[in-house]
Amino acid sequence: MKWLEDALAKARPLFEGGGRFRAFKPLFDAMENFMLSPSTPTARAPHIRDPLDVKRYMSMVIIGLLPCLLASFYFFGWRMLAMIVVSYAAGGAVEVAFAVLRKEEINEGFLVTGLLFPLILPPALPLWMVGVGVAFGVLVGKELFGGTGRNLFNPALVGRCFLALGYPKAMSSDWISPVLAWPGRLGEYATDTVTSATPLAAAKNGEWARLGDLLLGNVSGSAGETSALAALVGGVVLVAVGVANWRTVVAMLIGFIALTAGVFGGSVNIVVWHCLAGGLLFGAFFMATDPVTSPMTNGGKWIYGLLIGVVTALIRNFTGYVEGVMFAILLGNIFAPVLDEIFIAVHVRRLNREG
Amino acid sequence: MKLAGGYNVSIKGRPSNDVEVLPEPQVLQLPLQSRFLNFSNVRVEEGQHVRLGEVLAKDPDHFAIPLLAPRAGTVRLAAAENHIVLEDVSRADHEPYDSFEETEHIPENLGSVGIKRYKLLQLGAWQFFRNAETGGPVDPFGTPTAVIVSTVHFEPYVARGDVQMQKRLRAFTRGLEHLQTLLEYQQIYLALPEVHSSLALKVRDMIRGYAWAKPVGIPFRYPFDSPALLVRRLGLKPTAENPVWALPTEGVLALDRALTLSQPCTVRIVAVGGPAVRKPVHVKAMPGYPLKDLLAGRLVDGPTRTLAGGALTGGEVTETQLGLDTECQGLTVLQESTRRELFGFMRPGSDRRSYSKCFLSSLRGQFWESYTTALRGEGRPCIACGECMSVCPARISPSIIHKYLYQDELEQAQRLRVDLCVECGLCSYVCPSKIDLRAEFIDSKQDIERELQTQEPSE
Repeated sequence: MKWLEDALAKARPLFEGGGRFRAFKPLFDAMENFMLSPSTPTARAPHIRDPLDVKRYMSMVIIGLLPCLLASFYFFGWRMLAMIVVSYAAGGAVEVAFAVLRKEEINEGFLVTGLLFPLILPPALPLWMVGVGVAFGVLVGKELFGGTGRNLFNPALVGRCFLALGYPKAMSSDWISPVLAWPGRLGEYATDTVTSATPLAAAKNGEWARLGDLLLGNVSGSAGETSALAALVGGVVLVAVGVANWRTVVAMLIGFIALTAGVFGGSVNIVVWHCLAGGLLFGAFFMATDPVTSPMTNGGKWIYGLLIGVVTALIRNFTGYVEGVMFAILLGNIFAPVLDEIFIAVHVRRLNREG
Repeated sequence: MKLAGGYNVSIKGRPSNDVEVLPEPQVLQLPLQSRFLNFSNVRVEEGQHVRLGEVLAKDPDHFAIPLLAPRAGTVRLAAAENHIVLEDVSRADHEPYDSFEETEHIPENLGSVGIKRYKLLQLGAWQFFRNAETGGPVDPFGTPTAVIVSTVHFEPYVARGDVQMQKRLRAFTRGLEHLQTLLEYQQIYLALPEVHSSLALKVRDMIRGYAWAKPVGIPFRYPFDSPALLVRRLGLKPTAENPVWALPTEGVLALDRALTLSQPCTVRIVAVGGPAVRKPVHVKAMPGYPLKDLLAGRLVDGPTRTLAGGALTGGEVTETQLGLDTECQGLTVLQESTRRELFGFMRPGSDRRSYSKCFLSSLRGQFWESYTTALRGEGRPCIACGECMSVCPARISPSIIHKYLYQDELEQAQRLRVDLCVECGLCSYVCPSKIDLRAEFIDSKQDIERELQTQEPSE
């Protein structure tokens, strides 16, 4: 590793002080600290620190997303990879531009946003739309609020919302029907067979997809959400390592199941079907649990989860939209600060009573 | 208050139960400043010969708590800045210091309790009496709400009560009896570890008959030994006039020494531990013992950082401090961070202890890690991960308070009870964004205090 340290030391003057590329110092720092863990010492007590850092934290989300990612490659072909590359390039460009402008460090958050975003898009969406969407999401959903940690909305969902409103036709019809039989679409880049009905849309016309297909992902839908099994596996890992909060996930599922059961008169089959269909599980494990945009208090997390679950069921069953996870989570994001306020006030009262 | 949060950091270098007696020093370098005390009122002259136990200086802001000469010697005032140096140190002309009255005249109308407390002050035992909430010194002639005697120190690594007590159990219980005579009817709470150590059982046995001493079992987790936390857990209601006093094990021993033997407390047992210490141990040393001699031959090679106190709350011992100060309970030595790892954040991390479950080590049992002074990450904005909220033993919400302090909203921090922070340092320790929460809260508490003081006269 000595050679790498030496090479970086040699290049550093170009990015510092009067160096030719001084404007790109954040980019250089990010590259350097990505490859070599920094050796910065602590300044004030405590002088020892936990090994967990934001890079590790975000890496956990990416690990949790792997099953969905692999499933999307299998079912929809290598074009997914192109979508991810475009998403990272466009989102990263906005992130870097703002870091350079603000003279701040580049944040790891976009590594997650950039990967989440293509997974919640129709797999046949034109690549330029992917780029425009993620750029909008990062710019408006995150950077204008002050960057990672200060955003009100989940940036990936802001980007998707923008596309859904701006290009409704592409966003509601660019589905690909998957291939279940081995080797899936692992051998091809993309396909021309564009179908138009996701299971939720088809269900409105009375065609119910088989439960087994929903579980494995043998249905059309957004790239990463079709396989309920993959979302479950990755999601459980994410909850187990403590990065996704179990309260949010459980509350969201309870809210959703309760209302869906109410609507369909407690038919277990239909409730399970609705749980596995669409982006519910993906949203519950990977989108609603985003710590920045969900409440910080435990009580807030319960209410927030319940709210998202209930609203998802409401949108699915009582509006013109077939899928409601995106809007429900964005709505939950709006409520998050208010919920925190309420639960903090309750907690402070308890602290005051204890004296 | 139920106990919540807390975490035991398994850092390598736990001092053994052995107490090593250091060789007698040639020179003593007594720092005039320590964490709470500032002995600015120097009472000796250059070249003066002092006897063991004589007053060298006093802290005029804290009830004239004295700095005593731990040994006989010749005073050198100009030898080092902010230090009183004693040369030609010896125990030779050691004589029982029974004439504490002669140095000052005793204030009148003290009564027997007052005289005892005055004796404690003069013999250097009063500096161990602390305000349980703030950690600062308390008025020797004040009345406490209650007294918490703590025999447990969980922070890695400060001197442990059981080690300080192990051969002096008799003195400890006698000290408790003395303590009771200093009080009127106030309860003494005796914090003991909630484990079945033979020592804890013995102590419990010995105080069984005492109605005024109440044992309190402390779960073995940092920082449940914090007196500030115990005040709330026990439901005590201290006021500014009647604080809760906290007294550590060595304080009880010093109290016994002063009242039974009329001798000053000069030698103490402190811990020397941490990953950079070859053979972590407890040492018997006196204030002013040169740190260079104390640490000589004990440390591993390479640059190190010495902390006065434990790894979580101890501050760095700067080059300007030459000798052990009177408040130091232990020295924790860390290696300076120099190592950089290729793709460090992607490693499985079976060798990394973490509060989170994001490393492979969470599947592994107990092990001790060689922490260095590395920040182990880069500073980032808060991502609201909630680690600090779950680890906080005071049950305040560090991340939310941080959010307000970041916006300079001191009143909001006050509303969220930043004052309940016990400064254990765990929030800073676990933060993945490497935010210095503890430092931030200490600063804001001082700002709030200052603001309250400026407001008072106008009301």
